[in-house]
Amino acid sequence: MITDIFLYPFMQKAFIVGILLSVIIACLGTVVVHKRLSLIGSALSHSSLAGVAIGLLLGFSPVLGAVGICVVAALCIEAIRKRMPAFSELAVAITLSVGIGLAGVLSGFVKNSSDFNSFLFGSIVAIDSFELIVVLILSSVVLLVFLLMYKELFYVSFDEEAAALSGVPVGLVNFVFTVLTAVTVSVAARTVGALVVSSLLVVPVAAAMQIARSYKTTILWSVLFALLSTLLGLTVSFYAGLKPGGTICLLAAAFFLAAVGLKALRSRLGYSRHREESHE
Amino acid sequence: MANNDYAIEVDHLSFGYSEKLFLNDVSFRIEKGDFAAIIGDNGSGKSTMVKLILGLLLPVRGTVRVTGRDVSGSNRPSEIGYVPQNSGDSVARFPASAEEIVLSSLYRQIGPFRFASRKHRAIAREAIEQAGISELIDKLPSEMSGGQRQRLMLARVLANRPEILILDEPTVGIDADAVDRLLAVLHDINIHSKTTILMVTHDIAKIASFANRVLCLSEKHFSENDLPEGTVVHIHPLMHDHVYEHIHCANCEKSHDPDKCAACAAQKNGGRK
Repeated sequence: MITDIFLYPFMQKAFIVGILLSVIIACLGTVVVHKRLSLIGSALSHSSLAGVAIGLLLGFSPVLGAVGICVVAALCIEAIRKRMPAFSELAVAITLSVGIGLAGVLSGFVKNSSDFNSFLFGSIVAIDSFELIVVLILSSVVLLVFLLMYKELFYVSFDEEAAALSGVPVGLVNFVFTVLTAVTVSVAARTVGALVVSSLLVVPVAAAMQIARSYKTTILWSVLFALLSTLLGLTVSFYAGLKPGGTICLLAAAFFLAAVGLKALRSRLGYSRHREESHE
Repeated sequence: MANNDYAIEVDHLSFGYSEKLFLNDVSFRIEKGDFAAIIGDNGSGKSTMVKLILGLLLPVRGTVRVTGRDVSGSNRPSEIGYVPQNSGDSVARFPASAEEIVLSSLYRQIGPFRFASRKHRAIAREAIEQAGISELIDKLPSEMSGGQRQRLMLARVLANRPEILILDEPTVGIDADAVDRLLAVLHDINIHSKTTILMVTHDIAKIASFANRVLCLSEKHFSENDLPEGTVVHIHPLMHDHVYEHIHCANCEKSHDPDKCAACAAQKNGGRK
């Protein structure tokens, strides 16, 4: 029976967390992609490892360490981006290398490396109640702020200079968005894994951009693709005995390919219709 | 003297870095309702002049007044709508509909952290219509031609109903038909909405039939061959003794002759001084 999957508490939690994170990561992703920061997910999730190491070494919660370092890394990206506006991707690359470098050096001092692995790969099917509550609160905050700042985020990602001239508090909007992204990535890296966060932040958005006809529908399609990838990924991995994280990423990529195909088909049909009309 | 009949007054303006001046003692006036053009060679200071008028640059000497108010070095005067150079290209890949893009420019009217209402949508639609791209309201910039994107950028600015419209090289990179359509739209806005227009261009042949005032920021004389006689205001940026100004409508033999020129007549009938 297909409903078997919902009989297991760990799968129930996985589905709830999966749905919540898919929605907020896809929303943040639409802004991230248009600010040309597609690799921010990788940079932040890997930087959070340095925070885990600091937490383990200094004897406080690795989760707190991860969130803290993630926020610092995200603010660094924002600061570098401001200095070199034409090279957003450079800011991400610099932070990624420093984050991994720091994590590499610090990990040498950490005796128990299993903690490290759980942070790098996470596990959506091994979520405890505390993590569930954290994800629930985080999702509510992110969704609320995203809706409140919808117009501001649109304008800042569309044309930051014009937005500033029109009176948008660009600094505040960028700061709030950066901190939200950092906290989301660090929490999601712990629960669903760095791989899934990096993938859901950009791949559903890329797929949505193939078929959406406006900014609003780009967001809606991104959320839909992220949700479908996660829900299908969890179900398929459960029954086929696959790794859930990898399955979710591959499904997201499959949806992207399907969207590219659909777009190509649509433009070919449009082209032939155009030719028929011009022949008449 | 500040005079509210003038949209833009530039008095003895100089600008440059260290000892090299790009603009030296430039003076000119643009009246309310004018369709003015700044022409000149590459590097003659056309875009610099626009930035000085927008208050984005601080002059070394002299003043810039917009509707009688000194703007030198201040923020952009709110009565000016500005369409920067190549602004159409910068949005070409952004996945938002024309309506969403125009709506975003109504930020001040909508207010922070609020959603656009039906009233704001109507304003956006009206601006899109004014820019002559009503049929593209649901299109993405990537589905538009260069000229259509340029008019989308124009619609963004028009939504805020500016008294003065400044466009920096709006005709660059678009084909001749698109240039004609853009200029026709601008002419219409100039005549019917009484919006003062200042346009930086080097498309002298096209501008000749629309502009009633041409400012030449170059030592080279364009007037003899390219423009109807008496149209050009010569401003020689590097020679003090050659600064002079006169005002002509491109269609008129004398300054603003409403008996002979439809554009002047329309402006006069519209209550213009």
